[in-house]
Amino acid sequence: MIVANQLTFSYTDSPPYALQNLDLHIAAGEYVSVVGDNGSGKSTLMRLILGLLKPTRGTVGTSAKRIGYVPQRSDYARHDFPLTVGEMLRSYARIIGADAKRETADALALTGMQAHERSLVGGLSGGESQKTRVARALIGSPELLIFDEPSTGIDRASQDEIYGLLRQINRERGITIISVEHNLTAAMANSTLIYHLHGGHGHICTPEQYAKEFLRV
Amino acid sequence: MFEFEFMRNALAVSLIIAVLCPCIGVFLVLRRYSMIGDTLSHASLAGIALSLSVGGTPLAGAFVFTALCGALIEYLRSHIKNADLALSVVLALCVGAAVTIISRGGLNVSVEGLMFGSMLTVTRGDTLLALALCAASVLTLILLYDKMLFVAYDEEAAQIAGVRVKAFNYVFMVLTAAAISVAIRVVGVLVLSSMLALPVAAALQLGRGFKVTLVFSVIFSVIDILAGLILSYNLNVAPGGLTALVSVAVLLLVILAKNANKAMKRGKRI
Repeated sequence: MIVANQLTFSYTDSPPYALQNLDLHIAAGEYVSVVGDNGSGKSTLMRLILGLLKPTRGTVGTSAKRIGYVPQRSDYARHDFPLTVGEMLRSYARIIGADAKRETADALALTGMQAHERSLVGGLSGGESQKTRVARALIGSPELLIFDEPSTGIDRASQDEIYGLLRQINRERGITIISVEHNLTAAMANSTLIYHLHGGHGHICTPEQYAKEFLRV
Repeated sequence: MFEFEFMRNALAVSLIIAVLCPCIGVFLVLRRYSMIGDTLSHASLAGIALSLSVGGTPLAGAFVFTALCGALIEYLRSHIKNADLALSVVLALCVGAAVTIISRGGLNVSVEGLMFGSMLTVTRGDTLLALALCAASVLTLILLYDKMLFVAYDEEAAQIAGVRVKAFNYVFMVLTAAAISVAIRVVGVLVLSSMLALPVAAALQLGRGFKVTLVFSVIFSVIDILAGLILSYNLNVAPGGLTALVSVAVLLLVILAKNANKAMKRGKRI
């Protein structure tokens, strides 16, 4: 689903490199949590996979025809924007050429957000906002979903709902998930693989191996 | 008052402005670009001066020069990564060009009319050209509605969805240039940016979805411009200033009505 060969990236096209000589192969159907310290290049890797950044050297590519993306919550402080949840989802569906009415209804049902179709996006709680972003990412039947810190800024109950939803999407629909995680407990509980980034280099392993190697459990 | 041809032309152009300005203004306000109206209205002034100095049509000159300046703002914004600085550079260019050409003299145009707006300067030709620009802009807006909305709401998500955001921003600048060139003759350079922002600001107070906000922006804009036009005729003053004053009054009324409604609801609960 995702292949990176000697992937190297620098925001200045010269050292220091945010990512250096990464080789990565993620098969379809995996749920991969990308972990590492602040500044280790997690979000940069996601932006490279999405095509928002271009590699300085090496390559990265995906076989997914459609990618759903849920960015960090702090990117979305548009409380003043006059837009309802339904308007946002239908507009997005029309842009990507999906059936706006059906796809919006399906995404709202899957995320349990039907009652909020006419609510303004700026008036939603943290958990509801996150579910709305997940609903948007699900439109167009993506094969790959990319999350940037899905639990940041939302309460425990909403976190449980969001992770339950991600597991359901991954297992029942076979959608590949890559999630940048600061929440190690969630990463260990939900993922099939953990990708650990440190100093621009990466290491992939199972949650059990990660616990032994990095958490000394 | 509408027995005079110049008033009928002014009314027609005013209605065109009332529809076009908020349709563009809603995206400018939501993208936090409100001040672009100020810079591009000066570009429009320079365009009119430039066009008249070579014997061209004022509206066509205003549109072409304003569109070029809009594209220049977008180019500078993406290269120097500072929208305020890009606006300042283009504003300096436009004011410099306008002042230089107008101060040379020999132009058959009232500078006061351009700065404050005038009903007398609107010709039938201007009206037809304004109608053509408005129709083309509204049609483009209808065709690009979803993309315009998403680029304003979340540029990155729009890019991931396949919208060519950079090219799109240039198209948007041309639409903004069309609205400004059409509006400048009636409302004038000095208050033009208020026509783009104030009806939208009033509609935003309603706290509704995007389509409802857009419709109410147009309704408030029609009220502002028609009231400004009729009052300015009766008081024998420039329409631009009165239109701006009416826009502020309508915005304040909407805020007052909203607060009164909130207080009543709170009272009912107690």
